[in-house]
This record gives sequence, structure tokens and C-alpha cells, in this order.
Amino acid sequence: MKGNRARDGEMPSISEIDKTIHEPARLMILAHLFVVESADFLFLQRQTGLTWGNLSSHLSKLEGAGYVSVEKEFVDRRPHTVLHLTEKGRAAFQEYRQSMKQLFEELPR
Amino acid sequence: MREITLHCKALYIAKYIVVHRWCDMAEKINLKKIERKAYTSYHQDGLIDVFSGAFILSVGVWLVLDMAWMSWILWFVAVSAYAAAKRVFTIPRIGFVKFAPHRVKALQTTAVIVFSLTALLGVVAFMQVEGGGIPLWLLLAIENYMLVIGGSVAASFCVVGYTFRTRRMYAYALLTLIMFVTGHFLYFPLHYYVILLGTLVLLFGLAMLIRFVRRYPLSSADTTGDSGDEG
Repeated sequence: MKGNRARDGEMPSISEIDKTIHEPARLMILAHLFVVESADFLFLQRQTGLTWGNLSSHLSKLEGAGYVSVEKEFVDRRPHTVLHLTEKGRAAFQEYRQSMKQLFEELPR
Repeated sequence: MREITLHCKALYIAKYIVVHRWCDMAEKINLKKIERKAYTSYHQDGLIDVFSGAFILSVGVWLVLDMAWMSWILWFVAVSAYAAAKRVFTIPRIGFVKFAPHRVKALQTTAVIVFSLTALLGVVAFMQVEGGGIPLWLLLAIENYMLVIGGSVAASFCVVGYTFRTRRMYAYALLTLIMFVTGHFLYFPLHYYVILLGTLVLLFGLAMLIRFVRRYPLSSADTTGDSGDEG
């Protein structure tokens, strides 16, 4: 419904902005995953500068929302976590960008 | 009425704060910048330099031994060794990333264009030589081989620099041009310049690799992100 509003050019309300994405650290994680196909935990940690605990916690929330998919595998007998944005996450991120852009454009100067 | 006006003002201020906070954040979240940063950081390990330098140096050595054809074998060895080195040095330190398909496609397109142009030039030269005598452009190229080789190597550096978004490759291209244009007038044997260029690029690459390894030490900590709900 929110997506329809943004697409129809109707101004979204601030309360309708996706709060899961709006948090700066999560926004940064999603932005990094948005520009690549997939990345592992270490790469995201290096790129975002977040601590292990912070990144892990935010990823759990994003995974819970269905925005990020976490795949665990073994490489050379060591656990390896590969993360990528789900279709839902990609769409939600696009929608968020569109909504925020629209929101600011519509504000009185 | 006054209450409504105050409410509107408060709402406006709240929006203003949100806008400014978001604009601040938006500056940090520039998707093109993020993608470029991710891409360049993946190639800051100096491995391209090490392998390019080693390849050029080996071409120089094979030229001395009059076995320049060996360079082709080395080229294939270098490409496979590069992938292995990436797995040993880079991925355990800065992590693994699979770039968006358009990046991979751009790499493949560049490789196809470079290969096709080289092959086309070779076929044209072969046909003209077979057709009767050496054409004028080939004679000119042979006469000014230092400029031709320097230009080709510099162009290759530019292609690598553009493809991998590594600006230092343009510096190598400039260095190559300076060396080979100077060499065109100094009449020293070609292998001197090739060996010198290869050594310089290799040394710079090794320095970068050492800096990279020191900057990103191997972490024994768990990097799987398991059981993290404490943040």
C-alpha cells in the first residue's frame, strides 16, 4: 500500500517510513548489500565499520524482516556466512529511497 | 487557534530535524560512492601490480634469453595464480564479495574488446604481409617499435586502471610512456626498459601488499555473525 502511494506520486507521511530501514546502521548495511550481489560478514564489517556485535544484531533484525538472506556454508572446514539482499529487501530499499526523496521534495521551503 | 499554530510549528521543526539528520546520512549513503569504494578496496591489495610487474619482468628476462614466446605461457600462469593469491591474501583479510552482474559484464566486455582488436590487427597484418610485401604502417611500427610497445603497454595499464578503478595504473601508464619515449631516442636494448618497468611495478605492488597485510591482519575472531543479539 505504501509502495503504491509512493508510486502514485502521493506524499508519504513520516510515520509511514519503514523504520527497519531508517535506522542509520541498517540503512548502511542495506546500501552496501544493494550495490553488490552478495558479500560475507567480514566484508560488510570492513566496509561499514560496525563492530561484530552491532553488525550481527542489525543483520538479525534485517533477516527477521525478510530483507536479508543469510546463507551459512563451510569453506576449507571453516564456517562462512554469505549475505545478500532478498527481492523483498531490494524492493523495500528502493521504496524507502523513493519515499524519502518524495517527502523532502514536497516539504515547504 | 494559537495552539494549532504552535502545533504546526512544532511539526515543522520536527520535520526540519528529520530532514537534516537524513540529509547528513544521505551524504554518507551515496550508492555510487559505496559501490566504487567496495570495488576499489577489493583491489588495494597490490596483487594486480605484483602480477603485472612479475609478468613484465619475466617478458624482459625471456627477451634476454631470446624466448619471448614463453611469455604467453606465463600469462596463463599469472592469471590462475592471481585468483589463488586473492584467496590467500585478500579474502581472509577483507572478506568476500560478489559484485553486481554489470561489473562482471563490464570486465568481460573489456576483455573481449581488447582480445578482438589485437586479433584483428594481427589478422590484418598477416593478410597484408601474405598479400605481397610488408605494408607501410607495419614498417613504420617496426621502425618505431619502442613507441609502439610503450604505447601498447601504457594503453593496457589504462584499460586495467579503468576496469578495476585503480588510479595508480594511470601512473604506471605515464611512467611507461616516459620510459619508452626516452628509450626511442637513447637506443638502449628493449629488454633494459622492460626489465626496469617490470621491477618498478613489482616493487610497488609488493610494498602495497605488505601495507595491506599489515593494515588488515588475519583475524582469529568469529566472522560468521552467529548468535549476535547484543548490539
